[in-house]
Amino acid sequence: MSGTTANSNLPRRIIKETQRLLSEPAPGISASPSEENLRYFNVMILGPTQSPYEGGVFKLELFLPEEYPMAAPKVRFLTKIYHPNIDKLGRICLDILKDKWSPALQIRTVLLSIQALLSAPNPDDPLAENIAKHWKTDEAQAVATAREWTRLYATGA
Amino acid sequence: MDSEDDMQDAWGGESDGNLSNENEEEDEEVSQSNEPDYGFDDFAADDDINPSSRLPQSNYTILSEADIRQRQDEAINTITNFLSVSKMEAGILLRHFKWSVSKVNDEWFADEESVRKCVGLTATRAENRRRSQTENLKCAICFEMHPLSRMKASPGCGHYFCETCWTGYIHTAINDGPGCLTLRCADPVCGSAIGEDMVLGLVVEEDRLKYKRYLLRSFVEDNRKAKWCPAPGCEYAVELGFVSGAGSYDVVCKCSHNFCWNCLEEAHRPVDCETVARWILKNSAESENMNWILANSKPCPKCKRPIEKNQGCMHITCTPPCKFEFCWLCLGAWTDHGERTGGFYACNRYEAAKQEGVYDEADRRRDMAKNSLERYTHYYERWATNESSRAKAFSDLIQMQAVHIEKLSDKQCQPVSQLKFVTEAWLQIVECRRVLKWTYAYGYYLPNHEHAKRHFFEYLQGEAEAGLERLHQCAEKDLQEFLEGDTWQNNFNDFRTKLAGLTSVTRTYFEKIVRALENGLQDVVQGQGAQGSHVAQGSRRR
Repeated sequence: MSGTTANSNLPRRIIKETQRLLSEPAPGISASPSEENLRYFNVMILGPTQSPYEGGVFKLELFLPEEYPMAAPKVRFLTKIYHPNIDKLGRICLDILKDKWSPALQIRTVLLSIQALLSAPNPDDPLAENIAKHWKTDEAQAVATAREWTRLYATGA
Repeated sequence: MDSEDDMQDAWGGESDGNLSNENEEEDEEVSQSNEPDYGFDDFAADDDINPSSRLPQSNYTILSEADIRQRQDEAINTITNFLSVSKMEAGILLRHFKWSVSKVNDEWFADEESVRKCVGLTATRAENRRRSQTENLKCAICFEMHPLSRMKASPGCGHYFCETCWTGYIHTAINDGPGCLTLRCADPVCGSAIGEDMVLGLVVEEDRLKYKRYLLRSFVEDNRKAKWCPAPGCEYAVELGFVSGAGSYDVVCKCSHNFCWNCLEEAHRPVDCETVARWILKNSAESENMNWILANSKPCPKCKRPIEKNQGCMHITCTPPCKFEFCWLCLGAWTDHGERTGGFYACNRYEAAKQEGVYDEADRRRDMAKNSLERYTHYYERWATNESSRAKAFSDLIQMQAVHIEKLSDKQCQPVSQLKFVTEAWLQIVECRRVLKWTYAYGYYLPNHEHAKRHFFEYLQGEAEAGLERLHQCAEKDLQEFLEGDTWQNNFNDFRTKLAGLTSVTRTYFEKIVRALENGLQDVVQGQGAQGSHVAQGSRRR
């Protein structure tokens, strides 16, 4: 389906979610729809304080598939990040994006969950095998690398 | 060995019950007359013969879809009564515990609370206050306000969503696959199970059918004791009671497909599942091609592509783009050949080199490959021939049941019920061909160095083959006379006695050989170094 037709019969739920995201954004999160395709969102998440990602601004893309909200949104990091549950293509290992998705969840809840994932990496359920290994064998050093990557890739620009 | 007449003497019109005695006597005669002591008849003499017994029946049941539904209903009723839960709840519990009634009982009475939590039968309700039908509620999925009449609460937890969203939610789950059978409430933190009542109450016909199909399939696919018959288009399932000690899983489906319940390949007694897997892999494997290439070709000395020399002189020119010209015998460049190498067509460089032993290694490798290929071909051909023979016998059997039995009944003035022995004979032939076929896979994997075993095995196999030929001959050729000409009633009775006798003795012999092979020919190990007669006696004692 092309962008314009998708936009013309955009479900009310998506319109409402978009309005609320713009009018009452969640702290540290911004999400705005693309002009050509209202199902595609440009997202920015601030690295949570007290995490190795503090001070970084992380760009993500979020797409609402045709079946949304019966199917989960598709989300991906665009900014390079050193995190055991995020791989080098930016794909995220998060249960609510997969089998634990519920149509009563929203874009907002998804992004809040991703923000929480940055605060609490889970190396026991890894997506990036070697980063997870690093995290488990030498957490201090892994955190230092994450901090370094944040400085290199997620600041300035 | 035994001629057909001998065989008939052995039966001599006796009823089955007397056969063993008759044979015991013959046993002695045979030993005295210095014949090999492990004849076809001897084998038959063991134990008593029961014409109705086939290979040991494992305990299994063929289930049609109606049977499956009935089993499901029975299990649900049992659980409903035992646990005082609703039918829907019983269904959820049974599906979670793979349709094992006893497992549901055990787990439930061990810790009802955690079972409830695990399957989503929690008693906690969302909001229990009374609502007026005119009240408007917001659906948390579509974000619209709806009057209560258009909202629906999951009966388990009381979470409200609008009917459209519930329907969409369930539709998505059904089209995602059998996971819809363990569907939970759409609320992300609820986890309460959505039973079939609610599902079937909301969805369109197409989804209803899919969901019901998954319900039916779960009984077979989740159940450790049941499997679908693997025959194409067959809709029966086979439920296994208990596994017999012998570890054979051969079952016959109502669609007449005869298969191994364990590995789902066709029935393969006396060979075990592992050997069958190896044999099938071998039959399909590329490795045989490699062996052939190795045995029948030489690589081009320049480009290394394998070349088969199927005719002509020793002057080989490789195909383009290589075009290398060389001598087949010594693999040297053709330009080096001439009068001084013993002439163009008789390369004595080869002869000289061979005498020095230069080519022995490569030659030996080729020889070995050729031998192993020939050995495999030997077993494979016999395996495949018996398979086509079995298939032919099976179609003959069908033909027999469809046409010939009635014709025979007319010609010989016999009621069809009295002609059962003919079908029995053909069923036995089909079964024997199948067993015989697999003995060739068995033989292929029987280690070469176990000479005694190999010897004994080949003897048993030879006897089995001869016995089966006798039966096949009788069922095919002898029967033909009664189908075509007018014959005396009396004569037909003789035929009946002969065919029934052959069927019975062949069946018994094959049962023995199957058991002996499944045992790994244990008797041979016990009597290693002994003569055949000792071996036979060891077996008889069993």
